[in-house]
Amino acid sequence: MGRYLLTRLAFALLLVYVVSSAAFILTRIAPGGYVDQQCVTLTADECKALRLRLGADRPLAEQYLSWMSGIIRLDFGQSFLYGRPVGALLRDRAINTAMLATIALLFATAIGIPLGIYSGTNHGIGRATVRVLSVIGLSVPPLIGSLALVFLAARTGWLPVGGMTSSAGVEMTWAQWLADLARHLPLPALALAIPMAATLERLQSEAIESASHESFVAASRARGVDRMRSILRHAWPVSLRPVLGLYGVMIGTLFSGSFVVEVVTSWPGLGQLMFAALRARDLFLVAGCAATGAFFLAAGTLISDLLLAYTDPRVRSGERA
Amino acid sequence: MDWPTGQDVNRQPRALLSVLLIGAIAFVGWRYWTSTRPDPEEGTEIRVSESSTRGGTLRSSLRSEPKSFNRFVERSVPTDIYSLFTGSKLIRVNRATQEIEAELAERWTTSPDNLTYTLTLRDGVTWSDGTPFTSADVVFSFQAIYDPKVGSQLASSLMIDGKPLVVTAPDPKTVVIKLPQTFGPGVAIFDNVHLAAKHKYEAALKAGKFGEALGVQTPPADLVSIGPFKLTTYTPGQRLIFDRNPRYWKKDATGIQLPYLDQVILEIVPDQNAELVRLQAGQLDMLQQQVRSEDIATLRPLEQQGKLKLIELGVSADPDLFFFNLRSPYWAKDPRRDWITRKEFRQAISHAIDREAFANTVFLGAGVPVWGPMTPGNPKWFSPNVPRYGYSVERAKEILAGLGLRNRDADPWLEDPKGTEARFTLIAYRGNSSVERGSAIIRDELKPLGIAVDVVLLEQGALIERLQTGDFEAINFIQNWTNLDPAMSPDFWLSSGSAHIWNIGQSKPATDWEKEIDDLMGIVMRSVDQAERKKAFDDIQKIFAEHLPVLYFVTPRLYMGVSTRVGGLTPSILRPQLLWNVERMTVKQGQ
Repeated sequence: MGRYLLTRLAFALLLVYVVSSAAFILTRIAPGGYVDQQCVTLTADECKALRLRLGADRPLAEQYLSWMSGIIRLDFGQSFLYGRPVGALLRDRAINTAMLATIALLFATAIGIPLGIYSGTNHGIGRATVRVLSVIGLSVPPLIGSLALVFLAARTGWLPVGGMTSSAGVEMTWAQWLADLARHLPLPALALAIPMAATLERLQSEAIESASHESFVAASRARGVDRMRSILRHAWPVSLRPVLGLYGVMIGTLFSGSFVVEVVTSWPGLGQLMFAALRARDLFLVAGCAATGAFFLAAGTLISDLLLAYTDPRVRSGERA
Repeated sequence: MDWPTGQDVNRQPRALLSVLLIGAIAFVGWRYWTSTRPDPEEGTEIRVSESSTRGGTLRSSLRSEPKSFNRFVERSVPTDIYSLFTGSKLIRVNRATQEIEAELAERWTTSPDNLTYTLTLRDGVTWSDGTPFTSADVVFSFQAIYDPKVGSQLASSLMIDGKPLVVTAPDPKTVVIKLPQTFGPGVAIFDNVHLAAKHKYEAALKAGKFGEALGVQTPPADLVSIGPFKLTTYTPGQRLIFDRNPRYWKKDATGIQLPYLDQVILEIVPDQNAELVRLQAGQLDMLQQQVRSEDIATLRPLEQQGKLKLIELGVSADPDLFFFNLRSPYWAKDPRRDWITRKEFRQAISHAIDREAFANTVFLGAGVPVWGPMTPGNPKWFSPNVPRYGYSVERAKEILAGLGLRNRDADPWLEDPKGTEARFTLIAYRGNSSVERGSAIIRDELKPLGIAVDVVLLEQGALIERLQTGDFEAINFIQNWTNLDPAMSPDFWLSSGSAHIWNIGQSKPATDWEKEIDDLMGIVMRSVDQAERKKAFDDIQKIFAEHLPVLYFVTPRLYMGVSTRVGGLTPSILRPQLLWNVERMTVKQGQ
């Protein structure tokens, strides 16, 4: 197990290195850098001074080596766009994204898994309804979903239409702040959770349907175990293998930020940061965001592999072999 | 002294209690009455002179975050707004009327040769930390602006013919400013001066670190203000909160100290659609900028419900622009060189565009046809007496035939005598709906003429790089005047200018008409005779309209969506259209 973990960690580091380096180089060589965008309102001398100040006049290799040496010291450079260290920006935004991602994942799990178990083990109108809802959930892109939810919130006034906290947040106690946050979270979390819940439902449904036909489930039924207990005790753990595999990717995607939902709902997370960085061609920030996204993706995959090994004895035995 | 005894002792608290009880009942009754009685001014704008308008919080938006609070080195909308809220000018140009207004300099004199201005500063002005504002702060600010180590973005706007102004302070209340030569806009040049507190930043300037001072990580408590507000909270990604500066120097006509508002909150909302939804939901009082043409219809129902006002600001001074690359070397080996850079070709295009249809399609009817860079939105400098090219496809075809462009084969496109097709690539700014739609209109309107246009949408950065390197055939973009006086935008007009977009940074004028414009701009920039300046600029507009280095079709009408609870508005067509005068804005409280 230790060797397995080490291999996965090495893979994660390699992924982070390759993704962030590629992001750095591609952003640097793409036409129209940050300084070019600023220069449209500057005189030639001001433009030259800005290029010099930001080090944008240095060759790519020199910039890259300097950036890499900074990374070793955990210095991700300075954001052109925000005038702050990239590391501090990533930390602040990662916390916001993590909050949103955790709640979205909980919503998706709480909705998708039970519905998947139900539709995979039942027949009739209930199963058909769940399937139709899942197909709708899968078909609606996050952009449309979040816009629809924002529209609903604006029309009804039930929830704030955007932001993470209300403007009175600075004068609130911790309890009030948490309550305020709890009012702002459902909208973006649901926008993220609905398509994920639909995916989980579909996967769980098929997996449990297949597992419920396994001989050990039939044997448990023959031993007199009631149907629901047999499904939950014997079929469900086996059916979790493909579902947990998907969790890794979902965790990675969520924690690296869903820029569409974050931009539409003004959630100050990593996705919104990455979007702004890409639009402004903020070299160090793009590379930093890419590195963070790759890190979360690798971590998510690792966590799902470990969960899989924990829940499925066949994986553990395979590992030992 | 007699002490109360017996019943008197018991009677006193009872009486006091009764008075308190009656007072409490009266207070509650009064509060109930005042809260339930109808507001006589419901739905109408509050006048700023009313003392009842003091207090309250205004909520607006920002679409991007500040990169710095240092306006000396950063020129962006958030930094500009920060500077408007926390700064004051010596003399300002009123953005609504374009008139000169005395600010921190309460009066000034001009020498007979128009080269020296002597400014007298107001008494009793202090920074928000209580330190007096003096002429030393003004001299220090100019030092920071001109210090090459600072790399100030204000420096070029405060140079005349590349030479700095010379600023001295004979006493704490007097500033003497000498110009290297006469300057047409006169004291309006001081509107470009931003002030820095010497007592806070002198050490940074001496250490060569003034450019890094006032970064966004600076704790708000360390930031001093001489404007109507001071920054109290900046939550990255979320909002900036400004509280009233109790030491602000300005008062209204009735002697009430400005600003009227207690607080302004700027919510950071990067997405324009999300910003609009927040306005609709009542979570914002106003948007950072004008409402897009396509959003006006969305806001009309709210206006009818009395929740919003759609204020027409007037005709924009910033039309979309379309221009060809007129650098000769770019076309040297191109077979289209014989006709694509000819003024007749551009005149034919101008004839071929139906400006009314353009206004209806691109700005959904909220647009005005224009024929040059100066629009009716800038009445002081706009000249209607310029050559115009009315919509006529026939006339356009005649002009093109005169250039040798005829349809010589079976396809619908024109060819020159060598068989080269009349085709060009138009690069447009992706993400701006009016530019995108405008580019499609240009392509569609030139098609019946036999000119093929390949529209390529590029991100702003990529487009600007192509513009600066001269690697383009034609571009459709947005004009963005930062000042309505042409003398303040010489980079666009002068052939040597960095914003002379059709042929940037010429060492000497490439054409006779550009030289003529250069000479006339000399008068616009140096003459102090306003009539002479206007005549010279009218001539420039005529030359421009004849040669059409840049084509203009339509400029939009500007609208701002504002909550009905906001009053004291002085709209301007220049950005930020309402917040520029935030000190006089008011809100109805309790709504």
